[in-house]
Amino acid sequence: MTQESAPQQPPFDGPPLSLEEELAAARAEPEPGPSIETVNESLKDGLNRCPKCGGTDVQLRGSTGNLVCLFCRHEWQEARVEEEFGLGEGIDQLDGTVIASGARRIQADVADVLTFKCEACGAEVVVDTAHALNARCHWCRHTLNVNQQIANGAVPDAVLPFKLTKDEAVEKIRGFASKRRLFAHKRFKAEFVPENVLGVYLPYLVIDARAESEYWGKAEVETRRWTEKQGDKSVTYYAADVYRISRKVAFTVDDLTIEGAAERADLSSGTTNNIVNSVLPFDTKNAVRWNASYLVGFTSEKRDLDVENLGPVLEDQLLSIGRSQVEPSLGRFDRGVRWEQERIDVGGSRWVSMYLPVWLYSYRQESNGLLHYIAVNARTGETMGSIPVSKPRLLLAALTVGTVLEGVAGAILVATS
Amino acid sequence: MSAAWALGVAHVVQVSPLASDGGVWLLAAGPAGAVTTYWLIYRYYRNNDKTHEFERDTLIAAQPVEGGEEKVDHISRTRDSDIDGDNHRQHRSRVDRVR
Repeated sequence: MTQESAPQQPPFDGPPLSLEEELAAARAEPEPGPSIETVNESLKDGLNRCPKCGGTDVQLRGSTGNLVCLFCRHEWQEARVEEEFGLGEGIDQLDGTVIASGARRIQADVADVLTFKCEACGAEVVVDTAHALNARCHWCRHTLNVNQQIANGAVPDAVLPFKLTKDEAVEKIRGFASKRRLFAHKRFKAEFVPENVLGVYLPYLVIDARAESEYWGKAEVETRRWTEKQGDKSVTYYAADVYRISRKVAFTVDDLTIEGAAERADLSSGTTNNIVNSVLPFDTKNAVRWNASYLVGFTSEKRDLDVENLGPVLEDQLLSIGRSQVEPSLGRFDRGVRWEQERIDVGGSRWVSMYLPVWLYSYRQESNGLLHYIAVNARTGETMGSIPVSKPRLLLAALTVGTVLEGVAGAILVATS
Repeated sequence: MSAAWALGVAHVVQVSPLASDGGVWLLAAGPAGAVTTYWLIYRYYRNNDKTHEFERDTLIAAQPVEGGEEKVDHISRTRDSDIDGDNHRQHRSRVDRVR
């Protein structure tokens, strides 16, 4: 005998709202989600002073990854954001979308050009934040830095300092190109000057996420294989069982890294942005709190993509990660699997914007206008590039190989006739 | 490739017993070799197939995979050696999204 369950009473949620209150609630702006405040308050006045002597001539020392005071040679570094903001923790308990303050929505009406009042002498100094986040006061020579988080995407939550020096990057680029000389475009070889490499901080969003993905499809297992004679030929036939299968996996990802600039995120075949993308990943766990002094001597690109823009990209990458996670469970389906449907449920995500360091050598090919890059990950040294090809040389090599093979094939046929 | 050479090859195809029992495919070696050479060298220089392998290079902690399978059909005779549209290794090829 089954027990009849009592009808469920909805929990008491206060008296019903009036029509006006209901309408007001419907019109209300969505409440901002949880956030992580990453502003470096100690640097608010724009003068990054040496903690020892108070000098403002501060820049990154590449060999150590520390900031160095050019006046007293004292070295120090900002705190790692991983510990400072607890970014490595609680990924499996993430709920909703948590956005760090430097990854917040970009406001279109915020100008890129900032006017600073030098705290040392009172002069006004202009900084174009689209390209640089430091400027020298032309009166008192103090270096002024953009340390506050302006809502134009120029100031991230964290920065991963350059580690590879320019000389090391030049050697990497030279080594990469020298292995690809034979079929390289003649003009590229003549104009190749790896010393023109530029150190660039590129904007990325680094994401922790908790997700569950599910897949449905068909799979086949071979049950028999046999050969039949058809005239002079032997033909192989197969018999197989067909299965309807599903797979589900829950997982977390730590520091998934996605391009934060639309120009770099375009990985279509008309660009060589895939080169810059392929030098990922970075050791993002070593990223430190924002301090514009890390950018002195380097250029930077501004983030122009928001979390909303990148939501679909994150879902796409999580679906791919889920598919790779379920692949080992498909071993028995020796005739393969055809996935037909998929679902992703992102339970929670945490977004932090970072500047990551890349040494970039670029070359525009005159004949087709394509911009080729050779990129060096300035932390790991991973190097990837696109070298313009001399098509006549390549065709000659292909025809030579083809002719030799055709000659060998002809000889075999003649020998067996 | 000269016309005379091509005619010679055609003659060989006609007289060769290897050609008559399927050896003709050998003549595809030249064009196939040329195309493969071009493609391999081009790819080595341009690296247009390279991207960040985030499926492999990201820190991922996964729970055990769950799922089920149910036999729904039997193919008793086919010349196909594998399933149509096999995509289990193409992790980035998207299929119908269930919302």
